[in-house]
Amino acid sequence: MPDGAMPVLEVRGLKTVFHTRGGSVHAVNDVSFHLMPGELLGVVGESGSGKSVTMMSLIGLLPSPPADVQSGQVLLGGQDLLKATPEALRKVRGARIGFVFQDPMTSLNPVFTVGSQIMAPLRKHMGLSKAQAEVRAVELLELVGIPDARRRLKSYPHQFSGGMRQRVMIAIALACDPEVLIADEPTTALDVTIQAQILELVKELRQKLGMAIVWITHDLGVVAEIADRVMVMYGGQVVEQAPVKELFRNPRHPYTRALLKTIPKLGGQRGERLQVIEGQPPILGSAPAACPFRARCAHAFARCEAENPVRRPVDGRPVGQGHDVACHWSPEGAEDPSQEAAHA
Amino acid sequence: MRDTTTRPLVEVRNLKMYFPIHSGLMRKHTGDVKAVDDISFDIYEGETLGLVGESGCGKSTVGRALLRLYEPTAGQITIAGDDVASLSPEALRRKRPTMQMVFQDPQASLNPRMTVADIIGEPLDEHSGLSSADKLARIYELMDAVGLNRAFANRYPHAFSGGQRQRIGIARALALNPKFIVCDEPIAALDVSIQAQVVNLLEDLQDRLGLTYLFISHDLSMVRHIADRVAVMYLGQIAEISPVDALYARPLHPYAEALLSAVPEPDPSREGARQRIILKGDVPSPANPPKGCNFCTRCPKVMPVCREVEPRLQEAAPDRLVACHLIHPIDAARAGQTGQAGAQEHSQQQGV
Ligand SMILES: Nc1ncnc2c1ncn2[C@@H]1O[C@H](COP(=O)(O)OP(=O)(O)OP(=O)(O)O)[C@@H](O)[C@H]1O
Ligand SMILES: Nc1ncnc2c1ncn2[C@@H]1O[C@H](COP(=O)(O)OP(=O)(O)O)[C@@H](O)[C@H]1O
Ligand code: SF4
Ligand code: SF4
Ligand SMILES: [Mg+2]
Ligand SMILES: [Mg+2]
Repeated sequence: MPDGAMPVLEVRGLKTVFHTRGGSVHAVNDVSFHLMPGELLGVVGESGSGKSVTMMSLIGLLPSPPADVQSGQVLLGGQDLLKATPEALRKVRGARIGFVFQDPMTSLNPVFTVGSQIMAPLRKHMGLSKAQAEVRAVELLELVGIPDARRRLKSYPHQFSGGMRQRVMIAIALACDPEVLIADEPTTALDVTIQAQILELVKELRQKLGMAIVWITHDLGVVAEIADRVMVMYGGQVVEQAPVKELFRNPRHPYTRALLKTIPKLGGQRGERLQVIEGQPPILGSAPAACPFRARCAHAFARCEAENPVRRPVDGRPVGQGHDVACHWSPEGAEDPSQEAAHA
Repeated sequence: MRDTTTRPLVEVRNLKMYFPIHSGLMRKHTGDVKAVDDISFDIYEGETLGLVGESGCGKSTVGRALLRLYEPTAGQITIAGDDVASLSPEALRRKRPTMQMVFQDPQASLNPRMTVADIIGEPLDEHSGLSSADKLARIYELMDAVGLNRAFANRYPHAFSGGQRQRIGIARALALNPKFIVCDEPIAALDVSIQAQVVNLLEDLQDRLGLTYLFISHDLSMVRHIADRVAVMYLGQIAEISPVDALYARPLHPYAEALLSAVPEPDPSREGARQRIILKGDVPSPANPPKGCNFCTRCPKVMPVCREVEPRLQEAAPDRLVACHLIHPIDAARAGQTGQAGAQEHSQQQGV
């Protein structure tokens, strides 16, 4: 790892398959990444690309069956979570890894007050008394910017707006001072004005608490705003990984390149016609033997059909440490220009 | 793209849509959700009017009221000369083919037990006397128009992807040769990579068939791409209506300004360079809107007068209507605050 610093979280070769009656779904294929202390890793990709399943596999949140985490290592401070007992995993989830999901209404229990839901992990994992937990709960609500916090402890989730519920979810995730926060599309269901409030809050909390964060989103604007590093997923795989500015300046994977071109911009010249990515995302029915993007790729050639590309360095630094890409093609044509086929 | 010679196809005047609130044992009428509260605007023939604003501000309600899927509480809605708000049921039935809707959730809006051909052909059964051979020919024509393979005519919706289902919804909306289509968040449920396909299709169809769109969306970048003019709604009212380039270059209403500044841009080198206005708090309830300007509880520029007097939507610069006490029609143009718009003296007369 760079400069001898140790990652707080390291995932190696994660593979998750769902066994369903309709056949198996290879949702996550050989995913590896790490997270440095205080870092914010953005994870982007279209729906079904495996973002949520990857993160839920890490912390044992997928019901098995149908989920089968077939292989890999998930190292949190040296401990492999995939080998941990359910009891130990529960402890990790409550105290060392916090998480926030997309829809705050389904994640908060409608029949309990907001206060009792914040206080539960504090009492269970940190052994606080009721009075101590209440003090801490008020602190947490104030931290996430809920005014009149003491009184609001007695409110029920439906009495809060979407943005406030998402703040409460963040407060719960932060309750036990986790080393890692996993946020799965936490602002997707929110209005841009409320999203801006939450993004501002997260920036502030990072400065105050120095926690490492994984932030899943399909919004490249959000990634550009808050991420230090970005991992792009497609078809259950990591197809590109780079520091955020590098990724936007010098995208290497045909999917990343096309994605950046297809979104209209808020400023600059207004385009006549949007660039499209033809076709549909792949169905992950079997373990991939070919590049998952080949059917939609403008640069596909024979090798893409024969061999699933592995991640290789772009900037000379080892995979995971700098900029890397999983693709047989390269924009300079260095890989195999003779065979590059013009597609649709 | 609209030129100044085209006339309004849709004219909305003082439209109100209230939903009554009943409470207590006797279900007494105790108030109203003022989902749309006295709005007026025009949509020109062949143009796309974007309608933006936060969740719950009344966008869908406007769209549905325009097609009289709701009975408006008050106001006129003139579409191609007929006041839709007051048509008799029979006259409305005859009017229906000319105005259609494309919905957000392509999954929920298609009957899972009908084949694609049945779904697209259903409006033809109701409104046209086509023979079954002619009907099938028309269905194929529509499938071609939206880029669906004819071979899939007898399949069911579940066999299609989100983007393909949205194409089915669009083909169905086109079946009766409408002039006006309300697109209510037509791409919100689709992946980024699929959104561009559907937006390009909507634009192609507009060019080819001369369609007029009301395009409801919370995606401000996409609205910039597709719209000619944009109406910004807040809490049941219109804050600003402006041509798209003028609005994005320099929003005049403080809410429009805050809304645009909140959109994160996919360009990390520009982050930090942008001035972001973070609005405090949430949108008030439309059952109990604040007195005076409805934005006064969150407006960073609020003045005492804003809490007392409701600002009227008025022409702040040629072609730009703004409802805010800070924007005075003449001052704004004189001070050159509106950029080049203020320099032009010709004024596009535009109702209200
Ligand atoms: N049938 C109804 N009965 C009562 N209230 C309603 C009804 N339909 C809408 N409302 C209310 O009217 C207001 C405007 O709703 P509308 O659906 O038009 O919002 P919107 O701008 O389309 O929001 P979104 O972006 O979430 O789709 C909201 O407060 C909503 O709760
Ligand atoms: N419970 C499940 N049973 C079967 N397949 C599943 C289940 N959950 C997710 N999948 C599949 O796993 C793949 C990845 O899903 P997910 O991680 O949720 O995608 P993302 O979060 O990137 O949108 C998809 O093909 C999805 O359909
Ligand atoms: S490996 Fe081939 S098909 Fe896959 S992204 Fe690269 S060029 Fe395209
Ligand atoms: S009228 Fe007043 S409160 Fe309303 S938008 Fe203008 S400045 Fe703000
Ligand atoms: Mg997900
Ligand atoms: Mg709506």
